Amino acid sequence: MSGERSGERFRDVLRGTIDGKTVVARRGATVLETAESVGIRIPTLCHREGLPPDGNCRLCVVETKGKLVISCMFPVREDGFAILTQSPGVREARRFVLSLMLNRAPKAPAILKLAGEYGAGADPRFSRDPDNCVRCGRCVRACRANRTEAIALVGRGFERSVSGPFEKPPPDCVGCLSCAFVCPTGNILYSERDGKRRIWDKEFRLVPCPECGTPVFTEEQIRFLGEKASGLCPECGRRRLASALRNAEPLSGGSRGF
Amino acid sequence: MPKTNPGAPEAVDLTGLRGLLESRPPEARELLPLLRDIQTRYRHLPEEAVRGLSEYLGLPLARVYAVSRFYKSLSRVPKGERLVKVCLGTACHLRGAPALLEALEGKLGLALGETGKDGRFTLESVNCVGACALAPVVMLDDEVHGKLNDESLADLPL
Ligand code: SF4
Ligand code: FES
Ligand code: FES
Repeated sequence: MSGERSGERFRDVLRGTIDGKTVVARRGATVLETAESVGIRIPTLCHREGLPPDGNCRLCVVETKGKLVISCMFPVREDGFAILTQSPGVREARRFVLSLMLNRAPKAPAILKLAGEYGAGADPRFSRDPDNCVRCGRCVRACRANRTEAIALVGRGFERSVSGPFEKPPPDCVGCLSCAFVCPTGNILYSERDGKRRIWDKEFRLVPCPECGTPVFTEEQIRFLGEKASGLCPECGRRRLASALRNAEPLSGGSRGF
Repeated sequence: MPKTNPGAPEAVDLTGLRGLLESRPPEARELLPLLRDIQTRYRHLPEEAVRGLSEYLGLPLARVYAVSRFYKSLSRVPKGERLVKVCLGTACHLRGAPALLEALEGKLGLALGETGKDGRFTLESVNCVGACALAPVVMLDDEVHGKLNDESLADLPL
């Protein structure tokens, strides 16, 4: 490694505080990542590891230099940063955000729990037919990340909702359940019985795992994945990979470390 | 939300669609221009045309549909041959837009947001067209008619 390079590296390490605790951060890391690296928990809703951040729910606000910023996207950029994750301003902002969300999803356990923590009650001025969806868009981002992009957030303002094209069963949906899996409020419902799965008003036939017979994937999913799909359920897939690795010829020369 | 009364949605003749799409290159940046072309040609966005557009551009239907629902000037139901937009922005409001709207509703026999059964006019409101000095303003399609009063209103080609 050249000297210049390591110098650059050195400059990329920043020192500051979170809630008064001295913290070392990588330049450009989000405040959320940095806080989590030292075990400080910040509540999040629209953020989810593995999905591109969107910063739409505003629950993860923190205070820095007297301003509120969203920790899931705000990067740590300078030495001497000072961040507060539980200041009165922060708590008030989260309480407000949660009071709005209670109108959208008054029964969702995740929202109720947070509302309890922050003493939030629903604000009746903004109450409109609750449907258990907080419009965080995690489902849409998951679907997009899978390259199916079968659903979208459609419309504006109060009318905005997650939907397939023309409010009909989405033609591009392969029944993978990713949307239901990432939804923080449990709004996306699906059912499985008799080897069939229903989601988004569409029915899919489940294909039994060729090894153990557990039905996990839909026909459409396997077709969509093409050659990449073995059709094995995750468990059998892991077992097969493990045995392949065990029997593999060791790589000549190099060490096995990363 | 303004209501609409499109009447029974008729089957739309989409024979010219191919040519309309091919007037622009199949690139993602043409999404909005093409949606506007479709709106202009058919006075709304027929479902089949939106599907055709998604195929032509190779963009997911869900994305194309979401964009088509984002803009107020793109419509799911057929609009009249002519769009009458009354400005209800602050300047126009102060200069009598509410009365102007009422007069127009009477003249066209339409409530705000409606399209006539004969399909000739749609009456809509906008919130400032950037011509406040001419308040109160009405737009007929792309023409701005400003400083409207009872007399000039009677002169509008409606
Ligand atoms: S359905 Fe769930 S994941 Fe999708 S926007 Fe609503 S709350 Fe978020
Ligand atoms: S988690 Fe940061 S804005 Fe939603
Ligand atoms: S308020 Fe009517 S043009 Fe500005």
